[in-house]
Amino acid sequence: MTDTTPLLSLRGIGKAYGPVVAVREVDLDIFAGEVVAICGDNGAGKSSLIKVISGAEEPTAGSISMRGKPVAFGSPHDALEHGVATIYQDLALAPRLSIAQNVFMGSELTRPLLLPFLRVLDKKKMIAESQRYLSQLSAAVTDMTRAVERLSGGQRQAVAISRALRWNAEIIIMDEPTAALGVKETALVLDLIRKLKADGRTVILISHNMRDVVALADRVVIMGAGRKYVDRPIGDLSADDIAHLIMAGNAKAA
Amino acid sequence: MSRIAAREVIGRYGTAIAGLALILFFLIFAPNFASATNIINVLKDTSFLAILALGFALAFTVAELDLSVAEIASLAAVVCGWLVHSQYPPALAVAGALGVGVVFGSLNGFGVTVLRIPSLIMTLGTAAIAKGCAFMITQGVAFVGRWPVGFTGLARGYSFGIPNLVLWMITATLFAWGLVKWTRTGAHMVATGEADEAARLAGIATARIKRIGLLLAGIFAGLMAALLAANLSSAAPNMAGDYLLYAIAAVLLGMTMFEPGKPNVPGTVFAALVLKVLGNGLVLLGAAYYIQDIVLGVIIIGSVAFSASAMKTAAFKV
Repeated sequence: MTDTTPLLSLRGIGKAYGPVVAVREVDLDIFAGEVVAICGDNGAGKSSLIKVISGAEEPTAGSISMRGKPVAFGSPHDALEHGVATIYQDLALAPRLSIAQNVFMGSELTRPLLLPFLRVLDKKKMIAESQRYLSQLSAAVTDMTRAVERLSGGQRQAVAISRALRWNAEIIIMDEPTAALGVKETALVLDLIRKLKADGRTVILISHNMRDVVALADRVVIMGAGRKYVDRPIGDLSADDIAHLIMAGNAKAA
Repeated sequence: MSRIAAREVIGRYGTAIAGLALILFFLIFAPNFASATNIINVLKDTSFLAILALGFALAFTVAELDLSVAEIASLAAVVCGWLVHSQYPPALAVAGALGVGVVFGSLNGFGVTVLRIPSLIMTLGTAAIAKGCAFMITQGVAFVGRWPVGFTGLARGYSFGIPNLVLWMITATLFAWGLVKWTRTGAHMVATGEADEAARLAGIATARIKRIGLLLAGIFAGLMAALLAANLSSAAPNMAGDYLLYAIAAVLLGMTMFEPGKPNVPGTVFAALVLKVLGNGLVLLGAAYYIQDIVLGVIIIGSVAFSASAMKTAAFKV
């Protein structure tokens, strides 16, 4: 983290849905290789902020830049092209499709068939590559043709993360990655996130679970009523400290 | 074989095996069923249904219901018939039929993705429009005549000893199968139909993909219409209307085979064959014509119930 130019930089970001203002004037810098946790109570504006960064929704105010250059994310596709991938809690995967189909969804590999302009899916290669991504994440899954609905919650997260790796995303945004997971599964997902960090990827983590935040994040950003009001290194903050900060912010917002 | 594996086999192939058994039953017990003429007739009948149903299945693959395929086919047949009747070259007549499919398929896609009308409603509307247009063009009477062999041969002729109709069906089947299973567009269609929000977030242009699915349903209806007109040397404004329920039944029964719960190409085509064999066999066994409708209704309901129980959840939402 010696580079002083932020990888991703938000300035004055606002998001309004008609008269309802979900995010107000948020400035946020994310540096390469960091794990940044975004916390806040329900309705604090976390999800709306994330949708703006991931290209799912366009901001109504402010600007985004990457490595100092202004960018506009008109769609999730734009964000992916810029190396920002988002893993949503429930929406990321097609349950009835295979692991390989999910990993390569939207970016399928093809090979020429007989004629140079006739390209067909390269299923073998997609299966082999999916296997490679998943073993990189040490996920114990072997059959890449298995439907995702037959996997455990933690394995599903591994599949979703594999898709982000497939896009070679530098910034991986994870929305509540451990919600609805058991203890063992949660440990698996935390390990996945550590592997991403060790791999030099930048992770933005949205979580309600303060223990996860303390265990993983380098920095915590706390939002309330659409504003960012805490942005500091985790240092020796405990899970309780963060919960207090969130409540203090709620009191201020109210 | 373990119990789970046995269940898997029954889930995948159970109804296909039942279909085969049914065909065998009629081969043995229905008088004249096994004659060459009858079998060729059944295969020809199957071709019309399979081509129309494949279009419906492609729209269903992107999770859109196209209830207009049969009326699009009626209108396309009438336009095609009018062109032949007016002595335009056969190629132009076929292009006319396909053109009707393109126009109505695009219209459905526009309504569903741009105007955001549920496909169930949009295609009911376009079905009514197509039906009205077909009657308007013909003024209620059919185009009948001594049409050139260059046109009627498309359906009635033989190539390599195989009826052309059957070859058209095989071509349409290979096209649909290749598209869905082996192309990026097909993979995007499947992803969009399975989970359109996930597909959109993965960077797939889901609206465009839905428009492609509905466009293909229209084009397949146009092809079926040209063949229907060629086979009958006539074009009437209501000639394909009855195919709608059969096409839906073929797709839904097809969804109980090979890839349970998913609209799929081999299932659709085999189900079309089973339905036509059943209809033909029942007639040969002396069943009254209305029995077919009752059986068709039972198959539609039964197929969806089967898919739902195989997947332990509703087979699909519309």
